[in-house]
Amino acid sequence: MSCRQWLSSALRQCQSSLVQHQQPRLFSTSAPVAAIRDIFGEGPPGTQGNRGPRSSSNSNPNEALHGMLTAGMERGNPLSVEEQRRVMEQHGTQAHIKDMRQNLTTDNYVRQMPRRWRIGEVYSPRDMKPAEMSKWRQGRPPKKDMVDILGFSPLDNYRNFSLISEFVTPMGRIRHSNDTGLRPVNQRKIAKAVRRAIGMGLHPSVHRHPEILRLRRHGMPVAAIPTPADPSQNRL
Amino acid sequence: MAARSVSPGGALLRTSRMFAMADPIPPPPIEGAAGSFFSSTTATVAFPTHQVITTLSSSRKLGDWGLKRPLPLKSTTKSSNPMLRVKAIDTIEQITDYSSATDHGITLRKFQELGIPVTARRPAGGDRPESTTTMNLPQMSAFEEALDATDIHPDKRAELVDMRWKFTGPWLAGMTQGEFNKWLAKEVRPKRPAFRQFLKKKIASERHVAIAKEALDKGQEQPPMVDPSTVTEDELIDYLRKLRHNNQALYDMVGQFLDLAPLMPPDVSQTGLPKEKVRALQFSEVKTPYAERGPPVTHPSAGLSYLRTSMYMENHPIYGPQKYITPVVGRILKPRRQAQATGARIGVAGLIVNTALGDTRFNQRNNPAAVFDKIDPSVEGGAKVWVQPMRAAVDSVGCVVLSVNDASVEATLVAQELLGNAVCLGAERAEDEMNRRETANDLRRRYRAPDSPTTMSSARDYGLSE
Repeated sequence: MSCRQWLSSALRQCQSSLVQHQQPRLFSTSAPVAAIRDIFGEGPPGTQGNRGPRSSSNSNPNEALHGMLTAGMERGNPLSVEEQRRVMEQHGTQAHIKDMRQNLTTDNYVRQMPRRWRIGEVYSPRDMKPAEMSKWRQGRPPKKDMVDILGFSPLDNYRNFSLISEFVTPMGRIRHSNDTGLRPVNQRKIAKAVRRAIGMGLHPSVHRHPEILRLRRHGMPVAAIPTPADPSQNRL
Repeated sequence: MAARSVSPGGALLRTSRMFAMADPIPPPPIEGAAGSFFSSTTATVAFPTHQVITTLSSSRKLGDWGLKRPLPLKSTTKSSNPMLRVKAIDTIEQITDYSSATDHGITLRKFQELGIPVTARRPAGGDRPESTTTMNLPQMSAFEEALDATDIHPDKRAELVDMRWKFTGPWLAGMTQGEFNKWLAKEVRPKRPAFRQFLKKKIASERHVAIAKEALDKGQEQPPMVDPSTVTEDELIDYLRKLRHNNQALYDMVGQFLDLAPLMPPDVSQTGLPKEKVRALQFSEVKTPYAERGPPVTHPSAGLSYLRTSMYMENHPIYGPQKYITPVVGRILKPRRQAQATGARIGVAGLIVNTALGDTRFNQRNNPAAVFDKIDPSVEGGAKVWVQPMRAAVDSVGCVVLSVNDASVEATLVAQELLGNAVCLGAERAEDEMNRRETANDLRRRYRAPDSPTTMSSARDYGLSE
């Protein structure tokens, strides 16, 4: 995915270079772009002196493209037509480019359609409109009291750092009931559980629990393994 | 006749919309309550809650919808489908609160065009996809007598539990822990004395059966019924102790008393108990189709279709009887994205449908058309595929779960020919299409230099400026 991402952005840059800058900029002195020109062996004579260490990597087109992406392109120094043609030659056929372009288009459209359709839902033309679709983009606080729905006692769960983290902002403050959607009784209980966990040193007071951060870093779901419910204890 | 006796004013009122309009039914649960916090309050709901009203075109021109006051012409005469839902006949601001109801009205019309029955077996709904084990099982119509019993004597409710779809008690598997606790405290606990009376009746009837059998064996005449008041408290407590060691009998008693919806017996892992204890449990077989996913909120057909079977053939005027019912066009609402591991979402007749599992076009990776993977904005009206609707079912929430399969190529061709878009037997035109040379315009489009501005996100990124 990431590979496709940066390839597609490269493609976009290449396209943009075709339109407005039909002529290569002869007097570009930016080192990375010059380096790329060197790679293709077409650098204008004025930039000969700027040859960097990358000029030796002529054989590896991947590196060339990568260097082009990472260094110079963002600053608006596009490739010439000839350079672009060479990039395309080295990186796949016309069909591949077309495929990449279609993927980019699809990604862009999918990004505009945040709604996750569920089987059995009814749609009408109005539901596809941007005004309606954008409503699915932003999350809302829960309308119902989660503690009441799940029927657990917050104070018995002060050791459950996943639970405590859900009611704490990234800066370590207790979330307001506007965000948690809890009724006052349960909000007080949850707040007490958070204070208890922090006071006992079980939960950091400034950020998320390190165990959660570790799981996030490895891309693992935080609450992956459900523990079997023990009927004797009123725990989640 | 009764209608004659009503005064003219009364008759007018009786036939007026004010009294003929059905009360709205409760809306489907908002998704936000189910843990997903992404929802829209203005999106089309999964099933209609208000009655849809219509009027004749001549009356519509006058704004006459049979309501208390004429409706504004500007907003009611433009649509080619006169369908409205009236939220309030009269509000405190002295207006009639109405909105367009074409979304559900047209959806119903399109559904009925499909010509498929509503079945009652194992609907897959919501996030649960249909499993391979249940997908090809024969389906029963929701109107089969074995599933659709509504007029039941109160004494026979327990016997006919597999034929019923409506229960006064809740479906326990669909309750959360908090709801269950609240239900226990509010509904069940006050019924303790009544349950003891219920058990006493059971004991008395069991005792009567035993005595009657003994009398029958001895050739004596049948004894009278045992009076439940003769059962003592000690006997009741003994009976309760016995019940506690027989999980199925206890559940049957409680289920009959509270009229609970049937439950699926749990797996070993679902019980959360050690294996030895689970082995001691005994469960009877459940035959009702609603034990797994919960009973429906409406009649299992939801009044969408009154067909009993899809085993009928369509007759074509030239080609004769057709193997398949006419396939329909489905809209690809969302392409398949492998990065997010989401399948394509296909809409048929205004419903998000369930696509078939197995070796179908919906699941093939290397689809040459790639119609399921890519959005092509140059396709007018969006990407569409021909699908074969298989069956429909109404799930426990009230959503219509429509299952579709690949359309047969021949059936698609015949359907397209009926629409005038293809030629079956006179193959010249189709051949011409295949051998068509590229026109100068095509060539020009292919070799034209792409033109796009240098902005970060341009129309070109949406495939709009080719």
